[in-house]
Amino acid sequence: MSIVPLTSMNTQSIEIKNKKFIMHPSGVLFWDEKSILLISDVHLGKVSHFRKFGAAVPQKAIYKNFDLLGEAIAFFKPEYLIFMGDLFHSSLNKEWQLFEKWTVTVDSNIILVVGNHDIISPLNYEDLGIQVVSEIQLDGFLLTHHPEERDGFFNFCGHVHPSIRMVGLGRQSARLRCFFKTENQLLLPAFGEFTGSHALKPVEGCEVFALLGDMVLPVPFKEKEPRGPLL
Amino acid sequence: MNRDELYKIAEAWFQQQDWKPFKFQKDTWKAFLQGKHGLLNAPTGSGKTYALWFPIVLNYIKNNPGYKTNYQKGLKAVWITPLRALSQEIRQSAERVTADLGTQMTVGIRTGDTSTKERTRMKKQMPDLLITTPESLQLLLASKGYDKVFKHCSAIVVDEWHELLGTKRGVQMELALSRIKTVSKDLRIWGISATIGNLEQAREVLLGPDTLAFENSVLIKANLKKKITVRSIIPEKMETFPWRGHLGLHLLEYVVPIINTSKTTLLFTNTRSQCEIWFQKILEKHPEYAGDIAMHHGSINKETRNWVEQAIRNESLKAVVCTSSLDLGVDFAPVETVVQIGGPKGVARFLQRAGRSGHQPGKESVIHFLPTHAMELIEASALQKAVTHNTVEDRLPYLNSFDVLLQYLTTLAVSDGFYPKDILPEIRQTFCYQAISENQWQWLLNFLVMGSQSLQTYDEYKKIEVEDDGRFKVNNRGIAMRHRFQIGTIVGNAHLSVKYQSGGYIGSIEEFFISKLNRGDVFTFAGRNLEFIRIKDMQVHVKNSKKKTRRVPSWAGGRMTLSAQMSELLRNELYTANQATAGQSKEIKSLNDLFKRQRRESIVPNTDEFLIETFKTRDGHHHIFYPFEGRFVHEAMGSLLGYRISLLSPITFSLAFNDYGFELLSDQIIDIQQVIDNNLFSTDYMSDDLYKSLNATEMARRKFRDIAVISGMVFTGYPNKGIKMKHLQSNSQLLFDVFRDYEPDNLLYQQAFRETFEHQLEEGRLRLALERIATQEIVWKPCEKPTPFSFPLITDRMSREKLSSEKLEDRIKKMAAILMRK
Repeated sequence: MSIVPLTSMNTQSIEIKNKKFIMHPSGVLFWDEKSILLISDVHLGKVSHFRKFGAAVPQKAIYKNFDLLGEAIAFFKPEYLIFMGDLFHSSLNKEWQLFEKWTVTVDSNIILVVGNHDIISPLNYEDLGIQVVSEIQLDGFLLTHHPEERDGFFNFCGHVHPSIRMVGLGRQSARLRCFFKTENQLLLPAFGEFTGSHALKPVEGCEVFALLGDMVLPVPFKEKEPRGPLL
Repeated sequence: MNRDELYKIAEAWFQQQDWKPFKFQKDTWKAFLQGKHGLLNAPTGSGKTYALWFPIVLNYIKNNPGYKTNYQKGLKAVWITPLRALSQEIRQSAERVTADLGTQMTVGIRTGDTSTKERTRMKKQMPDLLITTPESLQLLLASKGYDKVFKHCSAIVVDEWHELLGTKRGVQMELALSRIKTVSKDLRIWGISATIGNLEQAREVLLGPDTLAFENSVLIKANLKKKITVRSIIPEKMETFPWRGHLGLHLLEYVVPIINTSKTTLLFTNTRSQCEIWFQKILEKHPEYAGDIAMHHGSINKETRNWVEQAIRNESLKAVVCTSSLDLGVDFAPVETVVQIGGPKGVARFLQRAGRSGHQPGKESVIHFLPTHAMELIEASALQKAVTHNTVEDRLPYLNSFDVLLQYLTTLAVSDGFYPKDILPEIRQTFCYQAISENQWQWLLNFLVMGSQSLQTYDEYKKIEVEDDGRFKVNNRGIAMRHRFQIGTIVGNAHLSVKYQSGGYIGSIEEFFISKLNRGDVFTFAGRNLEFIRIKDMQVHVKNSKKKTRRVPSWAGGRMTLSAQMSELLRNELYTANQATAGQSKEIKSLNDLFKRQRRESIVPNTDEFLIETFKTRDGHHHIFYPFEGRFVHEAMGSLLGYRISLLSPITFSLAFNDYGFELLSDQIIDIQQVIDNNLFSTDYMSDDLYKSLNATEMARRKFRDIAVISGMVFTGYPNKGIKMKHLQSNSQLLFDVFRDYEPDNLLYQQAFRETFEHQLEEGRLRLALERIATQEIVWKPCEKPTPFSFPLITDRMSREKLSSEKLEDRIKKMAAILMRK
């Protein structure tokens, strides 16, 4: 497992309700004060699931997720690790055994906020010492899998797999996974390899942070130019 | 019964109809009855159905002289048609003969439209003649005991073989034939093809190179001369700027007199959405046509299509707006006139469409050409020359399509299983896989059984199992079921069926169009305005709406390109622009104002000139090159040149192509002098550079899409089946990335690059084009404003290619997201 040195990673800090949160280029979010690491939509077992159903997705892709998880944890050394849902893509398969082995190597307390894909029995998780909950309320923050609006709370959530489309001169464009913040909500990007993304359109008052290689890039906005004739 | 007695039966029948058999028909009867295989080159409407249907019946009579009283059941012949729309017509011709001769033979159709009930009935009792599509034939091979079904099959006729050749459906056919050749003992294989450049090769691909079948085969040419007249529609007022995407609607009124003066007119459009829009606009402008015009394309439901086809035959329609769905086969005697809207991009296709009119031996075919933008008039003029000289293009067959082979092997494993030692020799007899190596074969088998090349831990891959005696077999019902569904969707996007909420199937639409709709949105489909309600179980629920709308579904169709021959005609036509008007065609003359405007800032090139234009707009720096070599060559040349320029310094391009030239658009300016000084049009290291440019563009990525679907890596979901497959749907883009990162030596991943190289970039033509450019003088015109020639290119927003040598980080830092105004 390769450990990426601290200096090579460009994180971004953001303050919400006077608390400091750190966004990491891998797509995880760290709650500094509480030492909580939030990770959303890993979709473990997806590759194995496809293979089991006869689609030969390269098996090596399985290990990448665990490598990336290891890197993020080594970077923040969190006390708590909270998966924000869709940790496993489908029913139990052999990738669970890899996950079992992996949890042994993790010192943090692990909690799973269940998502729509999480159909594996909570008992399996509890056997590994993982707590399974439907949501978490903490200091005015609401942690859920699906986006939620609740009075008095700021919502952290996953599910959407947000990405942002950026454009430049010469008809250039690119789509990047991102953190997507509106007034009372922060959507986390999907962490997992081999998961897709959904392009969101920025609206007034939102902030977007794109994942770009080893950095987190605050996305600048521009107004749409009126399209008149070229001549 | 001897052959002469058999001929007498046939000739007597012809006499009863007051017809006389053509020589090519008699030649075909003879060759067939001698047990020969072959390819019949005959145009639509020439009586080709009777050329092959008769000997099939005669052969049955020969083997069963008591045929009038003693009926012998069982499949005798399979008739393959590329389009479902043709099957009714063939059935009618066939039934007429069997009934008149008193044979009691039955004719059945099995296509994607056939009901499950009907299929089950067929399983119990096959018709004597089965009319089907390449996909449905594969489905037969996927059912248990298929060898018994084909055991006494005496003939397989592949109709419109030229349409299949050069496609993966053609490869599917090659594979099916390779199997049926073995299981049926007395088989003749016949193809029917319109005129294409490589007819000899077409026969070789159909029968397999170096096979006994090929040795014992003939090529029969009908040689029917048909008079074709091409008339261009030239507007009185010519635009100076050839906007693309016009759809030709500004010339709608020119079509009205054509419709009024013919019995029935077919209006051919190039896409289904263009078809929808034209239909709608004609009715809007001319409500008096209501009930007299109809629309026909492949996504409309079967009942409507059948109704339209019948109505054409009954002469109850004045005009039909259609797409390639009416290109082939069907004999519509009442059609007097054909209008082609927009460039047909190929002579063979144009001739075929022209042939839809005057559809009886000896009659004249008239086709009107309606340009969607002014530049297309040059094409129209070139087409006329092509028609006169009968210049037709080749259809290039595929080689080593591993995706189709994987699908085929799974098909065999689903039905009765297969032994590799039996199947490999069959496969090696096909044109497509004649050179497959032992290593590649082993790789494919490993891939099917293990999902990789070696056993791995934590793996649950399941598809084909190897049984104790070495038989490869699918034993899992879920895998078998998914595979059978997948066979039907050899290429194309996921389709959803469109239904009224109250019931009633209207047609099918691609998922990506529907995904952009919200509840309450109104769109036009099948000539109706429909309001979107919801998607449920892979069905789109709609209701009728009175609201007006401009939304029309688009279907991603195959992009066509000009052939080498056609490109040459086009160039030569253009070069006449600088000559004396006396020698010009009326199309070229009519473009005089456009040429004048072009010359204001630039030139109209001569034979010995190669034109490059550069200018700046708010979109960035435009660099336009005009080789006039057809779209595919321009894709190749654009990628090659873009790649070579990107080696000079980090730069990013957006590329656009059409049949006249290509554009490199960038946020940076390219020094054209540097391009010339560095000799970047050189053929040195061309293949190598071209291959490398593939990595810099996304062409291979797009090719991979079909490969992933065909090989069974991506499930497209099942239209009409209501089965939830969401958990197995992934996108081929993700898959492409995973292969690139983890398994770049995968044969399917590599196939994407090879296919782009062989089928899209046409290396050979590129080399010739570059050699021609080397003999020309390069004329670089820095312009203030866009020129008329550049207009269709720079306004192309849809089908662009990207190429970059900049670091992603550096590119992104120059970009921003567009803020949505609330």
